[in-house]
Parts: sequence; C-alpha cells; structure tokens
Amino acid sequence: MNRLRAWFLAPTWTVNIVLFLAPLAIILGYSFLTRGVYGGITAPWTAESYQRLIDPIYLAILWRSFWVAGASTALCLLLGFPLALFISRAGRHKNFYLGLVMLPFWTSFLVRTYAWMFLLRDTGLLNTFLQKLGFIHTPLPLLYNDGAVILGLVYGYLPFTVLPLYATLERLDRTLLEAAADLGAKPWATLTRVTIPLSAPGIRAGAILVFIPCLGAYLTPDLLGGGKSVMIGNLIQNQFTTARDWPFGSAVSLVLMAIVMVLLFVIARGEGEGLL
Amino acid sequence: MNRRYFLFGTLAAGAGGLSACSSDRRPRLNIFNWSAYIAPDTIPKFESEFGVRVRYGIYESNEEMLARVMGGNSGWDIVFPTGYIVKPLRANLLVAPIHRELLPNLYQLEPRFQRPDWDPNLNWSIPYMVTAAGIAYNRKLDPPPKAWADMWDPRLRGRMTMLDDPFDTMGASLKKLGFSVNATDPVQLDRARAESIRQKPLLRAYLNAEARDQLVSGDVLAAHMWNTTAQQAMDSSKDVGFVYPAEGYAVYPDASVILRESKRQELAHQFINFLLRPDIAAANALTARTTTTNAGARKILPPDFRDNPTLYPAPDVVARGEWAITLDPVTQRLRDRLWTEIKAA
Amino acid sequence: MKPRGTGLAIYAVGAYLFLHLPLLILSIFSFNSSRFTVWEGFSLRWYSAALHDTQLTESALNSLIIAVVATVVSTVLGTLCAYGLWKRNSRPLAGSLYLSLVTPEIVTGISLLAFYQWIFRFLRVQLGMHTVILAHVSFSIAYVVIVVIARLRTVDATLEEAALDLGANEWQAFRYVTLPAILPGVIAAALLAFTVSFDDYVITSLVAGVDSETLPMVIYAIARRGVNPVVNAISALIVIGFGSLVLVSERLRTT
Repeated sequence: MNRLRAWFLAPTWTVNIVLFLAPLAIILGYSFLTRGVYGGITAPWTAESYQRLIDPIYLAILWRSFWVAGASTALCLLLGFPLALFISRAGRHKNFYLGLVMLPFWTSFLVRTYAWMFLLRDTGLLNTFLQKLGFIHTPLPLLYNDGAVILGLVYGYLPFTVLPLYATLERLDRTLLEAAADLGAKPWATLTRVTIPLSAPGIRAGAILVFIPCLGAYLTPDLLGGGKSVMIGNLIQNQFTTARDWPFGSAVSLVLMAIVMVLLFVIARGEGEGLL
Repeated sequence: MNRRYFLFGTLAAGAGGLSACSSDRRPRLNIFNWSAYIAPDTIPKFESEFGVRVRYGIYESNEEMLARVMGGNSGWDIVFPTGYIVKPLRANLLVAPIHRELLPNLYQLEPRFQRPDWDPNLNWSIPYMVTAAGIAYNRKLDPPPKAWADMWDPRLRGRMTMLDDPFDTMGASLKKLGFSVNATDPVQLDRARAESIRQKPLLRAYLNAEARDQLVSGDVLAAHMWNTTAQQAMDSSKDVGFVYPAEGYAVYPDASVILRESKRQELAHQFINFLLRPDIAAANALTARTTTTNAGARKILPPDFRDNPTLYPAPDVVARGEWAITLDPVTQRLRDRLWTEIKAA
Repeated sequence: MKPRGTGLAIYAVGAYLFLHLPLLILSIFSFNSSRFTVWEGFSLRWYSAALHDTQLTESALNSLIIAVVATVVSTVLGTLCAYGLWKRNSRPLAGSLYLSLVTPEIVTGISLLAFYQWIFRFLRVQLGMHTVILAHVSFSIAYVVIVVIARLRTVDATLEEAALDLGANEWQAFRYVTLPAILPGVIAAALLAFTVSFDDYVITSLVAGVDSETLPMVIYAIARRGVNPVVNAISALIVIGFGSLVLVSERLRTT
C-alpha cells in the first residue's frame, strides 16, 4: 500500500520542491544580499533590505494594498452572498445558474480587466453614455484610480466567493431555518441570526480566496490604476524589472508571504482539512 | 475512456504537427527595439536580401529592455539602448565588441555621431536615432504649455501624463528647478524628487508611448512625450501640438548594440550595416517619425520632413537641449531609489 | 419566503448582468468599424487584422502548445497525487500545495525567475518554452489535486477493498476501479489546468524567453498602449473559444 502511494506522491513532491520551495528559498537568500552596481546580486550579507521596508513610504503601500484588498473582498462577499443564496434555492436549475456565474471566469482574466479599461476611459462607453444623456458635460475620470482597481478586482474575483458560499449554503440544514420561522423569526432575522452565522465556513473560504490574491494583485492595479496606485504586487514587479533591486524585491516578497501565512493561520485555523 | 484519449491525442498530435510546420531552416536573428521605431518594410527587406528570418521584439523603456537582458541569457542578438545605458551594459559584460571592418556603411553617419561621448571610437555601439523629450499637448488648451512649469498647472488635473522613465521624469523636475538633467548632487536630486511627488495629484498616469492614443482621442490634454511619439500623434490629429520647454530638455541618442550572448555576431553586423544604408535609414526616420543620425539619409529626406520643427528644430531650440550622459554608479543607485519613492508616493 | 424570493431574483438578474455585460459590450464593439466608442457600422476588419497579425497567431500557438503540455503533465501528476493523499493524507504535501495555491502570482513568478537565473549559471540554458511549461506545471498541480480530491471523496472506498479482496493488486485496483469512477473529475481538472495555463500572464511574462511569447503577453502589450479594437476582437474569440470548450467538456462529462 505504502509503496504505491509513495510512487504516486513522489513526482508531485519533486515538482513542488524543485519548482516552488527551492525558488522561495533562493529569494529568501537574495533578500539578505546586496544589490550589484547596475542590478543583480553581490556579496555582503545584510539585513538592509528589510530595514528599508520600515520607511513610511512602503508602509503606506502596504496599507493601501490592505485597504484595496479588504474593500474588494468585502464587496465580493456582499455581492456574492445574495447570488449564492439565489442559486442554492434555484432547484433544478442550480447547475445552470452556477455555470452562468463561472462562465466569465473561464475566459481570460486579462480580457476581463481590459473590458473595464474599455468601459471606464474618458472616451469610453460609460462616459459617452452619461454625456449623451446629459448627466455630465465633461468626462468623469473613472479610470486610473483606486476605485477602478477595486472594481476590476471585484469583477475578476466575484466567482471565487460565489462558489464556496454556494457550497456552504447548499449543505445548510433547512430544518434549522424552519425552526427559526416556527419560533417567530421574520425572514430578515432568520437571515442575519441563522443563515449567515451558519455560512461562516463558506465566508471564511471565500474571504481567503479573494483577499490573498487581491493583496498581491499586479495586473489589475497596473492596467486600471495607471501606474499610480502602487500596490505590493507592483512594487515587487518593479524591483525585479525596472529598478533592478533584487534583494529589496525579495524582501518585500517574503514580507508578503509572511502576511499571507499569518492570515491563513488566523482565518483558516478552524478549517481542518479545508480545501484539501 | 476512449473519448478522453482521443481528445488528448488529437490535441497533442495537432500541436506537434503545427509546431513542426513552423520550424524554419533559415538563420535567425533576434532584434529587440523600441516600439514604433522602424519602417514596416525594413525587416522584410533585410529578411529577403539576406535570406534570414528575424524575430522582432519591442519594448517601451530602457528599463524594460535591461530587465530582460541583464541575465545574460535573454536570447536577443541586438538591442537599442539609449546612449547613457551603453556604459552600464558594458560594465556588466553584456556587450560584444563592434568590428568596424564589417560595417562598410559606417561613413554614412553624421560627423558628430562618428565620435559620440559615450563611445568615442564606436567600439561598442552604433548610433541609430536621436530623440528628445518635450511636451505634447491638445491645441484646445489656451494658453498652450510652454515650459515644464506648466505641467504643474492645476488646470491639467487628471488630464496630464508624464513619462514612465526615471531619467526623463526626474529630468523634467530638475529642469524646472533650473538644474541639469545629469545632476549628481543629492540635494538637487532630492528637491527634484519632492517636485515630482508634488505633481502626482495632478497626474493621470505615468505612460510612455501609451499616452499617444489617449492624446489623439482627447482623453489626455498634455503629455510628457518623446518627440517621435508626439510627431506620430500629430500625424493622427491636427489638434495635437508639441513644444520644447523653455527651461531646456534632455536629448537622447539611441544606439544599436550587439549582445555578447549572441551566437550570430556576423549576421548582427550585417543588420547594423543594413540600417546604415541611406535609403533604409531614411525610410526608418520617415515612417517612425524620428531624427536620423545618418548624413546620407538626411540628404534624401523630403524637404518638408527635413524642416519639421519637432524633429529637426531650429538652432535656438537645439541650443536649449542637453545630452543625457551616463551617471556614476552611486548617483544611479540614488536615482533608482528616488524613482521608487516617487512611484510609491 | 416568496416576497423575498422575487427580490432575490431581481438582484440575481442584476448580478448576472454585471458579470456578463462588460464582455458582451466588448464583443459587440469588436464588430464596430470605427476604432472609437461611437458605433459606425458593422465590420470584420479587426478580426481580419487579428488573424493576419503574425505576432498574435504565433503567440496563440505558443500558448496552445504550452497549455496542452502543461495540462497533460500536471493532470497526470496531480491525479496520482490526489489519489495518494486520499489514501492517507500527508500534511506537509497538502500544506505545501495549498501554499502554492495562495501564494501571490508575482511572488511565484519572481522566485522562479531567480531560480532559473541561478540555475543558468551552471547549465547554459536560456529562458524559453520549457521554462514556461515547467512554471505552469508547478502552479497547475495544486488546482488538479483540489478538483480530483473533491471527486475522490464521493467515491466509495470499499470498492477498492473489494477489488483487493478479489485478488487485484493496488495498481489494478486504482486503474480499473477508482480511476474510471473519478474520470469526470480528472477531465474537469484538466480543463481547469488548461484554462489557468492559457490565461496566465504574470508568471509567464517573467519567465518567458525570446521565442516563447504567449497570447496574454501580446494582449497585454497592446492593451498597455491604450484601447485597441483588435484586443476586443481577440477577447471575443477567446470568450467564444473557451465557452465552447467548457460546453464540450460538460457534454463529454455527462454522457
């Protein structure tokens, strides 16, 4: 028994160690080295990169990333919950409605982000529409700000909350809801006092699935933020490309990883097997 | 079970077949250049004359190119750095020496580019085009911008872009403060950083060539732009104008460089020699809307292009221009840090 | 419940519109003969431009090749792994796979870039299709494992025991009993891996070489330069392409 299992697990272990853990170890090492004159890595071991991070400018980026990711996650949960509720009550057509939610997800994330570029720019559809209707006279600057980034992130990650919420809601014991109604609870009270608390596992799973990618988002703030709203993901990418400061970029990456792991530990500690 | 194998099998066979079709026995040259910086028929002409295949990649900034090339195994044969980047490339042992005997067309270069500052004997790079940065604007703006200081004007809030280039954008701030674009004094650089950060609330985005379409469509009213991109915008729309700021501006010569990692050095030389042909250089300058370094090309350019004030400005304007030079490593590192801070603010 | 039912339904309609309208509008404007957001007539010129652009078609081909190879490898490895974990969990492996799932793409990308650069000091290899494929396999495996394990949990473990009792060895039990039962899940996992690989931009852009430009990289480069109807056309093609793929796989799955 164990031999076959060992053979089955070995290839994945190999890929995981060589192509995931080893690279992480390498950038751990890089984060303690010094930047070469025009880029690259050179000798002296130093914790300078980490010390640089304490600067208010980078803390501001961290704070902004949290705020954008948090807002996106909250919106995803708020918008996704009623939708998941609807699907869980849809009877025979559940799979159809679920598929309809997932369909945009199957298309390219890049395409979905670009769609908002197309809609939000000054000469884009939304502005042209509003101007034609006479609501505004000059275009609204809808693109290239935090709001556009949050919108793009919510649009991209909404299916990630709908799925776990649906999974939890579907398994909900209906008799509990009936019991609450029998005890005189109005629908709204049932919702807030019974349904939502019982969906906590789904909410937690959805929150993780959205918050963490949003925290490290790179593409959305890049295309919809105009290079101005720098988030951690942009900072990291910047250090590894244009700024050519690999030690600093590595340090930022590891701090991000540490935050991710802390969040996982805090949020998912009640999950047990969880997703896997 | 059968269906699954069938599906995967077909996909795999199809992919394999298609990739076999596209394998080409001709020698290959990989060229990495700025976007919109070459005539559309230059590469096809080279391919057919020399019986080779060219892979032509483009980039929007020096930093983007450097990021790819720094590792020493990018796969590119020729890149086009701006003059002041040639020394750092050499310092990192990324550049192959030029064999002048393989470039019979070298004499076509203008005299001042036969002995440029960054490479007096042309041992490592061959000048290609010259660009400068200025302000492109929508003619609806009244009064039109005339100086860098105008890019700090609140009326432009949200409708103004600056270049996503550390040298250019800090250079604009330096010039606004009356310093040189090549400043090395940390105090001056810090003040420039503060100026750039002060400007950020007005800024729509940091964009390079991407701003061109937005300028043409009217989304953007004023853009910090290279003269070539600006000229391309002006070709598309009569509403776009360009001005060289009163405080002065940076001038950039771009040069072709053969990478040391290239295994096709001789073919690379042949390409560079091809670029030096007056007819080819003229076509490149004409369609890419650039200022050429090639004297022979200049002679055969149409007169109205030769006198274009954006690309071939009057002597008094030229006098305000300042050549960008390579900075020492310490200053470069400081500037890189300041740029991160500007971007992050 | 009924009154709230209709409220919920109205909300659902709104939510679905929010999800689908942007892509629909994008596709509609891909047929616009003008490059501006004013409708000026029906035209296929952007599709023609897209299909004639060699950079686009070559990169699409690259994306396809990479996705197919990466999907095959990661599906095989991931299915085996899921089976092994189902038999008896391995907390380190499960944890590490989960970590690879939630690690932000930018971090995975730059760590792989650093890894490759470091390796290239010893082996004189360049960035290319192989580096991209390996990267894709690395991040796809976790997706495959999740989907297949979910499917495995619906399988009755006693079936395998029965097979073993009847004289089959472990491999045969897996091959002839469990594998057919989880096949729909494996196909779903493969589809997921294919989508994730084809669509990837961040990681691919960091580890791709000269010859391995992918479709997302080209789209990104065009999109950076501003709105371009050619991207609308490509987007519409991608939506239709993947939509059909999903539909086809659903038909296959349920027959």
